[in-house]
This record gives sequence, C-alpha cells and structure tokens, in this order.
Amino acid sequence: MREQDLLIQRFLDDDLTPEERVAFLQAMDADPSLRRRWLNLELVVAEAVQLPRLAPSARFLAQVQGKLALAPVSLWDRLRAMVTAPRTLEWNFAGATAAASVALVAVVGLLQFAPERIVEAPIPASGNQAQTASFAPGQESKVYVRLVLLQPDARSVSVAGDFNGWNPGQTKLERSEGGMWTATIALKPGRYQYMFVIDGKQWVADPLAEEGAGDGFGAQNAVLDVAI
Amino acid sequence: MAMSIDHGRSNDEAKLIARSLKQDSDAFGQLVERYATVIVNVAYRMVGDRTEAEDLAQETFVAAFKALPRFRAESKFSTWLYRIATNKCKDWLRAKRPGQAVQDVDVDEVLDDGVVAEERTPERLLSQQQVAAQLDRAIQRLPPLYREAFVLKHVEGLSYEEMQEIVGVNADTLKMRVYKGRLQLSRELAELKEA
Repeated sequence: MREQDLLIQRFLDDDLTPEERVAFLQAMDADPSLRRRWLNLELVVAEAVQLPRLAPSARFLAQVQGKLALAPVSLWDRLRAMVTAPRTLEWNFAGATAAASVALVAVVGLLQFAPERIVEAPIPASGNQAQTASFAPGQESKVYVRLVLLQPDARSVSVAGDFNGWNPGQTKLERSEGGMWTATIALKPGRYQYMFVIDGKQWVADPLAEEGAGDGFGAQNAVLDVAI
Repeated sequence: MAMSIDHGRSNDEAKLIARSLKQDSDAFGQLVERYATVIVNVAYRMVGDRTEAEDLAQETFVAAFKALPRFRAESKFSTWLYRIATNKCKDWLRAKRPGQAVQDVDVDEVLDDGVVAEERTPERLLSQQQVAAQLDRAIQRLPPLYREAFVLKHVEGLSYEEMQEIVGVNADTLKMRVYKGRLQLSRELAELKEA
C-alpha cells in the first residue's frame, strides 16, 4: 500500500492523531489528484451509511415464532443455563484472607486425610491385590476424590460442578474440627469443573485446584482431572 | 448514519433473555422484533436477495433461541446475533454460490495493491439514488469476506473491536478487508461514468 493510500485508509478509519489529521488535510489540499481519490472513497463510505434499510415483512415475526414452536430448547440446556447464569461473587476481606490461607492449612489437612484417592474397581474373586486395576468388561470404575476446603466461618459448604449438574444443593461438605469442610465423591475418570458454594451464596474456586478454567463470566472454575 | 443495533445491553434486554430461557416466547418475540430489521438487513447485504435474507434471518433467530442457554454475557447479545447471522450467510454462500470464495483470500490476487481509487468523480454524473443503487449492486460483487467487513463497518456502523468478536479475526485483517472493499467499490462507481 502506498504511503498516501495508507494515510487515506487511516483517516477513514479514524486512526489518525489530531496532528496527523492536520498534516493529512494539508496534503489533500496541496494535491488535487490525491484529494479526488480520497473524496471518492469518502463517497463510498457516505453512501453506504445511507443505503436504504429493508423492513422485515409483516409475516416475519409470526414465521420465526412458528419455527420456534418446532424447536424448543431442551430441558438439559435450560438446566445448564440456570446453573451457569451470571453470578455475583461476594467477597470480603475475611473471606479473602481465609481463602488465601486455606492453601497452606489444607495441604496439611490433605496429608492427614491421605490416601486422597481410592480406586474403586471390581476385583475378581480369585484375584489378588495386583489385579485391582483389571476391570471386567462393561463395568465402569470410579475414583473416590476427597474435596477439602478450610472455611472456619462458614455455616455450610457444598460443591457444584459438572459431576452434579452444577446443583449446589446436591453435594454438601461435612464440617470437621478447625473449620475444615470435606466431601468424598465417586467420579468416573474424566475432567470436571467445579466450585465451592459457601453458605449457599458465595461461589469460590477451590484454592487447591491444580488448574482453573474461565467460566465465561470473568471468574475461574476449578478443574479436576480424574484418572485411574 | 444507519441505525445500528442498540449497543447497550440494557437491564430490559437482560430480563427478556432471562425470560426467554424459561421458554417465554413473548419475551423472545420482543427480542426478535428489536433486532429483526438489523439482522434482515445484514443478511440482505450479504446474500443480495430479500427472500433468502428473511429466511436466513429467521434461521438466525431460531438458532439463537436454541443456543440461548450457551449465550455468555461476556459478549453483547447484539454481537452474538451478528455472529450467528454472518456465519449463516457465509454457510449459505458456500452452499449456493460456491464460485464466491468465502475463505480468506490473498488480497493481492484480487486487487492490485497499486490500484488506487479512481480520480473521476461519479457524483457529478449520477444522482444519489443512482449511486445508492449502483453501490448496492457493487457490494454484492465484492468477495464475501470484503463484503462482510465492509457491511459491518460502513453499513452497520460497528467498531473494529465489535467486528473482531463477530468475525473472529484481528482488527488489522479487518481493516485491510474494509480498505480493499472500499477501493473496489470506489473503482466500480467511477466506472459508471464510462457505462
């Protein structure tokens, strides 16, 4: 692209600084040929803005609604929308402090709760310990995963994630001494996103999660990879 | 300037979306009414046929309704609709007019970079109505990706930031497409003098 054409392009895109605009207009004033090229491009832009607008036909809305009646949203999609709707996360200093400190304390807690993962697999009657990883065809093995969160001030903690339809009322954590909340859940191997829900309203990602994933609303879900 | 989609995602709109998610067809009907003109016009500029444009606009709204649970508030509802509509139009062009490349084209193959806007002045020779009619037809002759970029920028009046979200390519690429579109249109209008 020629330098002059680039200038015209930037002028039309409103990309020039005030100083550059002055220089541009002076260049146009001094060069009739350049000015004509610029004006022809301006004409295109000006005419495009004024192109007549079509009005949708009178039956347009009725036709759309007729098609919608044939294409209802599935119950699953509605449920998903309900649990993934934008939420306001409530944060305060005490909560943030607790969340920040939970990592340190929970590491100790995790050691106490070890083993963290237990493979639940069908064991052949004649098998031995070495065969616990051999699964009968058609039977799905699960992994018990213990979730831990330190929230001394919480009255209730639950977990909502891909594994329970993001239903915060389904999987509650139990409180133990020191304000540690735990739950052990059986999951099939896979990748799950989840969040803790404190007192039924405050959604927080697991500070111990090794990985996070954007939830589409600017916050991060915790990610859990479950493998045997 | 042509009226573009309401760029503010108002509370009212959020409520309509929430009600639509609960299968409230009246609420979604209000959203359709609000955006029908914009989407029909975008589709018309893309495919150049009113009947097809209305069909594509209807498909856009049906697809939006079905996908509404997956709509993320991080983008505007209007931007999301534009994206669905332009994708529908490009799919349609691929199927119905395979001769019109919808893939990204090498701009230098389509237009010589040395080509500049004609120095003739068509406005002296044509009435504004004639210019508009010619411009309408000339837009249809643009390569689809230039057409999409030009229409979103200069007919719909969108910013390059919004266009990035809709088209999914960076602003520099969009600016180049718009520039090439403007250049080709300018040249075609100038050629009317000879015609």
